[in-house]
Amino acid sequence: MIKAGRAHNLLPRNQLSPLQKALNWLLLLLFFATMIIPMLNVLAVSFSPRLQSMQPGVILWPSQWTVNGYQTVWTRANLSRAFFNSSLVSLVGTAVQILLSSMAGYVLVQKNLPFRRALSLLILFTLMIPGDLTLISIYALNKQLGLLNSYQGLILNGLVSGFSILLMRNYFQSVPESLAESARIDKAGELRVFASIYLPLSLPGLASITFLEFVGKWNALMIPVTIISDPGLYTLPMVLRQLAFATDSTSGVDYIAPNAQMAAIVISVIPLIILYTFAQRFLIGGLTLGATKG
Amino acid sequence: MQISPRRPSSLLRRRLRQYRAIYLMILPVLVYFLIFSFYPLILGLVQSLQKERLLGTPQFIGLANYQSLLRDRNFLQALWNSLYIGSFSLVINIFTGMVLAVSLNELRSRAVKATVQTVTFLPYLFSWTVVGGVWVYVLSHNGLVNGMLDALGLDRISFFTVPAWGRPVMLFTNAWKQSGYFAVLLLASLVGIDPEVYEAAHIDGASRLQQIGRISLPMMLPTVKTLLLLGATGVLRNFDQVLIMSRPAIKDKVGSVLLFIYEQGILKMKIGLATSAAAVVLAATFLIALAVRRASRYEGSLYD
Repeated sequence: MIKAGRAHNLLPRNQLSPLQKALNWLLLLLFFATMIIPMLNVLAVSFSPRLQSMQPGVILWPSQWTVNGYQTVWTRANLSRAFFNSSLVSLVGTAVQILLSSMAGYVLVQKNLPFRRALSLLILFTLMIPGDLTLISIYALNKQLGLLNSYQGLILNGLVSGFSILLMRNYFQSVPESLAESARIDKAGELRVFASIYLPLSLPGLASITFLEFVGKWNALMIPVTIISDPGLYTLPMVLRQLAFATDSTSGVDYIAPNAQMAAIVISVIPLIILYTFAQRFLIGGLTLGATKG
Repeated sequence: MQISPRRPSSLLRRRLRQYRAIYLMILPVLVYFLIFSFYPLILGLVQSLQKERLLGTPQFIGLANYQSLLRDRNFLQALWNSLYIGSFSLVINIFTGMVLAVSLNELRSRAVKATVQTVTFLPYLFSWTVVGGVWVYVLSHNGLVNGMLDALGLDRISFFTVPAWGRPVMLFTNAWKQSGYFAVLLLASLVGIDPEVYEAAHIDGASRLQQIGRISLPMMLPTVKTLLLLGATGVLRNFDQVLIMSRPAIKDKVGSVLLFIYEQGILKMKIGLATSAAAVVLAATFLIALAVRRASRYEGSLYD
């Protein structure tokens, strides 16, 4: 600190020159505009009247505010049902996933466990056989198990991810083993050690994995389009996909105007944005651990 | 613990019994992977060697599916499209992520930093149905971009009916969705740098720009390597984006190999062709991951 203070007295402040700063601000502005303008456009169109949304032009503010698009898509395109389906499948799936992968992660940090390395490798290997590459046989499997067109199918496929298990393991590795040892001396069972020592000490990790898994399940498209054909079981991404094609050509009988389509998009991202505001605090740590040296 | 002269096998048995509760905790996951990961993998490999028949047991035909696959022009085109879009996307996204991270790192204002970071990161959370839906609309004939071109007195562009626009649109929307995520990770590696390192360079007379080149960029390198390695396994796995954004006119330029598998296997029920295509993609993914790992002399991480 003292050194830094002295340096300030002797030298100009350690930052970019005014011109470089201006260029940097310009660059950031460009990034920001590229990101935010389409989002504003979507938001504005979603609150615009049907006719205005079909006109060409730059719409960044509705000429007249209306929730018509939202009403149309919620009832006519059956978005309410898809919203319910997505919520159910994502919530149940995430809860089970977190329970199972944190237990598995706990097993992988047991130092003297026989075959621990083999178990880790096995889980690592599952990361290399992504579901999307075995799509055809996943369809066959679901047919054999009677999971086509069912909630169980939507929940079970992609329920557990090796990625979450390894992330959980990394969080658990930072829990001091002496705590677990002393609990075991007090005759606490493994489940007890896991639930009352490891889980509470890894809450930030748990929070960020929960969030990322929820997002993954909420956004899943490939497996659902493969195993679901009953419109009553469509998830939000499946309905959005239909809408993306519905606005494409004006020839369709069931034409959905852009205002309704954009309303559907806004509805489907609202839960993610709300959750993000809560998870933000933990998220950077979770993401960094996932993608850099843990 | 007292060590008695037992046979090793019974010692192992005792240790297994001691850890019975622990093994039970990982059992559900193992059963799950057995059914939903390993079984489909093996089933797929077997199916790729068979000829599907409507009735009776499938017939073993060796590598015939692979032979017809490698003669299938659509497959080869899809493979090339995936490789092209996947690898360019990865490089572009990491590059724009680096630019954004360095640029944000030079900002003093915390509020601006947080705002830009949040807005650029958000699309990473959105599904391709959302991002694709947004851009199909924004780039449509009556959409935002053509509205802006109109305002500037320029000709409108038909982004989804001119084949030449197919790949640029895919690369751009990919960067739009992913750059903020890469920026967050890369920025984390910049924030971790001890300020005294910059200070020392400053005292030695290095300009801020030189410090970015000599300190910031090298410090991001380990993260960049990891992102490249992780991204490499996903290069051939583009599906959601093309399922949403591909249109007949541009499909020849953007249709991915996973879309090919989906269309052949699920929509047309050509199981042999689709499963052999999946096996080829799986093998290619392994090779790419191995090559990148070799090239980056990866030192180990979460996945070891």
